Amino acid sequence: MQILGADFLASLGYNVDIEATSKKVITREEWEKRLNDVKIRKEDMNKLVMNFLVTEGYVEAAEKFRMESGTEPDIDLATISDRMAVKKAVQCGNVEDAIEKVNDLNPEILDTNPQLFFHLQQQRLIELIRNGKIEEALEFAQEELAPRGEENQTFLEELERTVSLLAFEDVSNCPLGELLDISQRLKTASEVNAAILTSQSHEKDPKLPSLLKMLIWAQNQLDEKAAYPRINNLSNATLEDPTV
Amino acid sequence: MPSATVNKPRPSELLSRLTSAEPEVKVRALREVKNQIIGNRTKKLSFLKLGAVPAVAGILADSIDDVTENNNCNNTNNFLVQSAAALGSFACGFDAGVQAVLDAGAFPNLLRLLANPNEKVVDAVARALRMIYQSKLAPKYDFLQQKNMEFLISLLNSEKETVSGLGASIITRSCETNLEQKALFDAGILRKLNSLLEGGSLSQRDASLESLATIFRNNPEVISKFAGPEIGRPLSSIIDLAKDRYPRTRLLACMCLIVIRNASPHFLQDIGIKTKLIHILLELLDDPGQVGDEAPFAFSSLIAQKEDLQKLALEANAIDKFHHHIKKGSLHPRRYEGILLALADMCSKLESCRTKFLSLQVCFFSGTNYLAQPNQVKPWSHSRLWPPMVFTQQQSLSLLQVLNLVADALTDYNAGVRAAACICLKSVTRSIQNLSAGYFMNETIVIPLVQLFLDPSTSVQVAALGATSNIVVDFRTHRSIFVQCGGMKQLVQLAKSMESSVRSNALWALKNFVFQADNRLKEGVFSELTASFLSSLIRDPEPSVQEQALALVRNLVDGCINLIEFVFAEDGLILGAIGRQLQCASKAEIGIQGMYALCNVASGNEFHREAVMQLLFTQMGDKNQSFVVKFLQSNDSQLRTATVWTIVNLTCPSSPGAPCRLEKLRNAGIVSQIKNMVNDPCVDVKLRVRTVLGQSMAFGDN
Repeated sequence: MQILGADFLASLGYNVDIEATSKKVITREEWEKRLNDVKIRKEDMNKLVMNFLVTEGYVEAAEKFRMESGTEPDIDLATISDRMAVKKAVQCGNVEDAIEKVNDLNPEILDTNPQLFFHLQQQRLIELIRNGKIEEALEFAQEELAPRGEENQTFLEELERTVSLLAFEDVSNCPLGELLDISQRLKTASEVNAAILTSQSHEKDPKLPSLLKMLIWAQNQLDEKAAYPRINNLSNATLEDPTV
Repeated sequence: MPSATVNKPRPSELLSRLTSAEPEVKVRALREVKNQIIGNRTKKLSFLKLGAVPAVAGILADSIDDVTENNNCNNTNNFLVQSAAALGSFACGFDAGVQAVLDAGAFPNLLRLLANPNEKVVDAVARALRMIYQSKLAPKYDFLQQKNMEFLISLLNSEKETVSGLGASIITRSCETNLEQKALFDAGILRKLNSLLEGGSLSQRDASLESLATIFRNNPEVISKFAGPEIGRPLSSIIDLAKDRYPRTRLLACMCLIVIRNASPHFLQDIGIKTKLIHILLELLDDPGQVGDEAPFAFSSLIAQKEDLQKLALEANAIDKFHHHIKKGSLHPRRYEGILLALADMCSKLESCRTKFLSLQVCFFSGTNYLAQPNQVKPWSHSRLWPPMVFTQQQSLSLLQVLNLVADALTDYNAGVRAAACICLKSVTRSIQNLSAGYFMNETIVIPLVQLFLDPSTSVQVAALGATSNIVVDFRTHRSIFVQCGGMKQLVQLAKSMESSVRSNALWALKNFVFQADNRLKEGVFSELTASFLSSLIRDPEPSVQEQALALVRNLVDGCINLIEFVFAEDGLILGAIGRQLQCASKAEIGIQGMYALCNVASGNEFHREAVMQLLFTQMGDKNQSFVVKFLQSNDSQLRTATVWTIVNLTCPSSPGAPCRLEKLRNAGIVSQIKNMVNDPCVDVKLRVRTVLGQSMAFGDN
């Protein structure tokens, strides 16, 4: 399903020929009437939900939703659990475990994606440093990471940045502390997640957030031309009365 | 000392565990090997050296036997999956690994296992085979055998992505001849691939695009059938994929369209599509990975030899974009090479492109220069006038900066980059204006270029000589720089190379170097070369070397009368060699250069002209026809021109021996042959023929 900006505006009945001088005011009744005229198939909405559950890895919810709505997921649900296990392992700092799981899932992913492989190895190094295993960290950097740095200039720079963590006594308070932050784990985890999804010929991002972005963009465009019942709270999607 | 690998067994230890009698120890070791080598080239190599591949292949073979003995055993399947995955990883992007897997005899076993009932086994095996088929070392698949074609179709029809992907990889790697392309078309493969394009998954679409490009390459017949009404809306599906959201898909779709256009130029003539392709490929340069590395190569194949596309690319600011990427530095060697080659193709034809490239690096310049085209030399000193370019002071400021940019690439550690830098330089220096302004004949460029003459890679040597050939045409004052840095002596040494391409390119550079040079310089080159060596080059077994050697003689003896004496040195060794070569010239180009050499000799004194006459006639021997008549009757207008030019010089009315020589030429039937050529389709020939006939009439011939 693909919705383009202009189509989206038109489907909501936005009027584009508005005089520049005065903003047109659209009342709540008028607006709701127009919204009711827009037909969106239930199945499409269901697919959107399923796409979100599958991509984000809510396997149990996806299974329930499938049974209740009869919507077939576009991916084998079993692979979701595997993917989530990998993601979780990285998030918990068990990078080696994550690597083995990815390789069981599909050995091609890390064999053909040097950047991802490097980032996982880098994360392993970060975890060793975090745990104070300095000697191990040094040996690991030398044996596993240095050859990758020789192959690629960018990797070398990243490696140098990571290794310099060793120079600080209090790593959590050093200028490169962000590498030790939980957000670094999340970044690596989401990179692996995306690579697994791509290897399964699946989009790496769910469609729903893009649609919400589209809604905000469309409303911002429309704000310049008309006053209308806006959705300000995306989580409950209530229509606010137009401010004149 | 605690060790990161302390929990991990060493490779040699792992290897011994692979032979363990305990299935669990064995399978764990197998999995460990797999996990260590995936993504890690260094580890692949060290395991390879320890002999891990035959060990793993052995486990695979043993497990196949187990399958046949006791069906459906989890352990066995696990062995199969792990060993296939390990073999696949050894073969992934690593030719030594592919070779080892093939040598270990694993290939037929992997093929057999595609029929295994277990899905995971089939997946692992198909992946491993696909890795092998990504390499040039993969065994050639014979499509012309019926049963092979059926097997291929069964692969493509598989529901499993890995298996249909394998089918596509086999086509991409193995389909080479037109006959094979036609066989694949006749078997209905294109229809299948097209359906994968329209309804397949991401990886199926990509694999299908690659296979299609392979089947289309240089085969207009298959393309027109594919684009015909038989198969839905095929071209438009490829065009759509060129705008796909995945960069790799965009690149592959572009490459497929380029193959179609290069084979059948009448497709994709629409300017919108051409512009679109250029923009897409330039955008793909921003991709940080392999796609961005390959994009400039695709760009080159799109614009090479095509002025209309080069113009469009110029308008799309291609040169700026490439320059921007080079400036960023720390490029992957493959990308660096590709960008330099793309710049070379951009600057290969259009002066506007070269000017654009040099606007990054020009220096101020004024005055008028006279210069002939670099690679083509006419008898005597024919020169053309080119308008001088005047550059502002500001433009000149960046001269050093961008010359350094080229020089950097010339001294890069990667041989592909060095060769590409030379090719780019050669392309840019095709411009007469730029050459005559002397931008390139300076130490920044010449010194690294001359150093490349001794490069360990032949392709770099040849490319460096190619660039030198253009640069040394640079006029008058600058040539001394080339001599001072030892370039000339090096060229003579390279003319002795074992590689014929190096010999001929070295001679080419020397030929251009002596073009319209002063006598002292020519004498220097000649004494370095010596008459005996030059005559041996004229008799070289390689026709391209013969041609360049003759052209070198032609340029050496052009001009002052003293220079003509070169061909008479050591009892006329060179002249004799020219005569013998003309007698048995294997291609027109040899005749052309040989005749121009004689033509220049005949422009000397009476003694010189008589020597040429003698050569023309003594060589006739017992053959019925002189090679002169054969050349005059040639289809090649340049050969006819060169031959008539020589006759013009031999019958020049101001020389006393002319009537006598004319008589001889008449008796040999040469004059009557020339008379038949008064309406020659080539204007050059026609003009010279009229000169000969005019001179002949002056001596009373009707």
